[in-house]
Amino acid sequence: MRLELKNIEKSFGANQVLKGVSFTAEGGAACGLLGRNGAGKTTSLRILMDVFPADAGEVLYDGKPVDYATIRFGYLPEERGLYPKKKILEQLVYFCELKGMSRKDAVKAADAWLERIGMSEYRDKRLDTLSKGNQQKIQLITALAHDPQIIILDEPFSGLDPVNAMLLKDIVKEEIQKGKIVLFSSHQMNYIEEFCDRIAVLNGGRIVLSGDLREIKRSYPRNRLVIHSEAAAQIKALLPYPCSPDENGALLLTLPAPEAKQQVMQELTQRFDIDAISVYEPSLNDIFVEYTKQSADGDGKEAI
Amino acid sequence: MNQFRKILRFELKNYLSNKIFVGVTVFLLILIAGVSFFPRLKEGFSAIVPDSHESDESLPLMLIEAPSAETAAQVEAGFASAFPEYRVTITTDDDDTIRDQIISGTAECAFLLDSLTSYAYYVNNLSMYDTNTEIADTVLQELYRTNAMVSAGLTPEEAASVLSEPIVHETKSLGKDQMQNFFYTYIMIFALYMVILLYGQMVATNVAAEKSSRAMELLITSAKPVSMMFGKILASCIAGFVQLFAVFGFALLCFRLNQNVWDNNSLLTSFFGMPVSLFVYMLIFFLLGFLIYAFLFGAVGSTASKLEDINTAVMPVTTLFVIAFLVVVMSMSSGNVDTLLMKICSFLPFTSPMAMFTRIAMSTVPFYEIAASIVILIASVIGIGILSAKIYRLGVLMYGNPPKLTTILKHLK
Repeated sequence: MRLELKNIEKSFGANQVLKGVSFTAEGGAACGLLGRNGAGKTTSLRILMDVFPADAGEVLYDGKPVDYATIRFGYLPEERGLYPKKKILEQLVYFCELKGMSRKDAVKAADAWLERIGMSEYRDKRLDTLSKGNQQKIQLITALAHDPQIIILDEPFSGLDPVNAMLLKDIVKEEIQKGKIVLFSSHQMNYIEEFCDRIAVLNGGRIVLSGDLREIKRSYPRNRLVIHSEAAAQIKALLPYPCSPDENGALLLTLPAPEAKQQVMQELTQRFDIDAISVYEPSLNDIFVEYTKQSADGDGKEAI
Repeated sequence: MNQFRKILRFELKNYLSNKIFVGVTVFLLILIAGVSFFPRLKEGFSAIVPDSHESDESLPLMLIEAPSAETAAQVEAGFASAFPEYRVTITTDDDDTIRDQIISGTAECAFLLDSLTSYAYYVNNLSMYDTNTEIADTVLQELYRTNAMVSAGLTPEEAASVLSEPIVHETKSLGKDQMQNFFYTYIMIFALYMVILLYGQMVATNVAAEKSSRAMELLITSAKPVSMMFGKILASCIAGFVQLFAVFGFALLCFRLNQNVWDNNSLLTSFFGMPVSLFVYMLIFFLLGFLIYAFLFGAVGSTASKLEDINTAVMPVTTLFVIAFLVVVMSMSSGNVDTLLMKICSFLPFTSPMAMFTRIAMSTVPFYEIAASIVILIASVIGIGILSAKIYRLGVLMYGNPPKLTTILKHLK
């Protein structure tokens, strides 16, 4: 399974929001869609789900235009909200039915999911009697209960406590293992790093970076070492290379060429008490900032 | 189609399980039952408690002052039969005393006659519906004429029979009887007015509530806007008709049960004796009129981000509708429903449900005109429905200030 957005363009009035967006997501792997506020993430997702058509470009599923009658999408919007005054089971069933399930299957699926997230006792309660975190868990069911092939999660972790975040992680991992296409949109880079094999970074309506996250990281020059040691000051004084402390208190050493690292690492471990030493790889956070900070219109409100 | 059915069922259930909706309907039914059975209950009650015959003492006092005792007696006799709801009494008090009696409430009114052809009428607060002087004029005129004829040589009986000879006439309306049809036309137009405004507001609020609770974010990705819009509107339409049929059906039932009591109420008999063809037209125009406005209300509801914005958002639609209502009602009360304005209005989709129905009910309209009006209306309902679904798709995703009409139209493609 492979989902592909190709050269998607979209304007609202005179404002061109998407200027040729292309990226790919594979089944059985999560893809992170990153971008600053107003970069066009939500618009891309809405085009992907056929809320409105693109001005140009296509959305392909296994190489063919997506047939929205047969391909099911599961969506957890960033702006959460269901019917506050309705009973939980009733609205879960309604949303499953809208996605094409029969009533019987919908009730079964909704009950199974309530059980899975440990909220069966709330099935006949009104949604607004629940805490915000629990409401969010209920909303997650609306994205998953109809067994979609493509799952889109927009900021899924915001507002969840660590235990619920763990539960959500497990659920997402299960879905990935089932071979589904999972699209993540988030500003919480640690979650993206944890889940996503691929990323696509949107900036100003364009994809500025996309591909396999590990390869992207490895593509950075491997001439820097991160050293954790009590003897940081001595190391710094002794070595002829530029040294600077990084934000975690470790020492960041920049070598003239990647080839020198083997020898330097050996030398250091022999001469000093080293806790850990590794080749520096940029964090996703660094990569994100590097690719998106130049954006002039990054803070605009997302148009639609 | 399947999706549309599910939305329809969900939305309809929303209405029918809404406590206020059910409460109002039940309240109306109880009210109708109460009103229609009231005369019977009263009868039954009077049968148990013997009617304490209203004594003359309890009637309001009407004073008569005349220049001569003879005239006074004549007038008193005439007035006593013309004003059965008054205790007519001759007085010889002076002007000021009579005034005081009226102001203090001892007497209700007074006729101070100079002669049979000239008098002053005293009353404390002149009611809008006070017809006493008109009745008095008739009585006095008759007395004057009788006196004149008697002095010319006729006997009082001959004079009376000359004066009271009735003219027999019969009206044969070859088209519609406006008088008879006015009531139910008015009731139906007014019911349509109420239903559209109430349900329109409900539809708009419903859409805006989904938007403000952000349930829309999920709905819009789960269902087609056209299914959403048509499902919602038809649900409100069915709910509206369920309520109307419950109320009018129950009213008809109560009326039938108490027919002997209400038989001489021309308003009710004309209402429930509505011809079947007219009833069918009423249903058609009611349904189409409801739909066209409900779609508009749904569309404008989608442009409001918050429930507070609803009232401002629906204003243009409400205004359009109120103007249509006023045009029709004014033409109805003027008695001429076939003016050029009404003819134009009976083909314009936003006014035709009321205007054409009024014309059918109160005048004679050729069938091809009715058919044309219905066809235009059906086409407009479909057109407005699709347009409103498009506005809805755009509107529900726009947050912040309600967008301008021009912005929406620009984005509609």
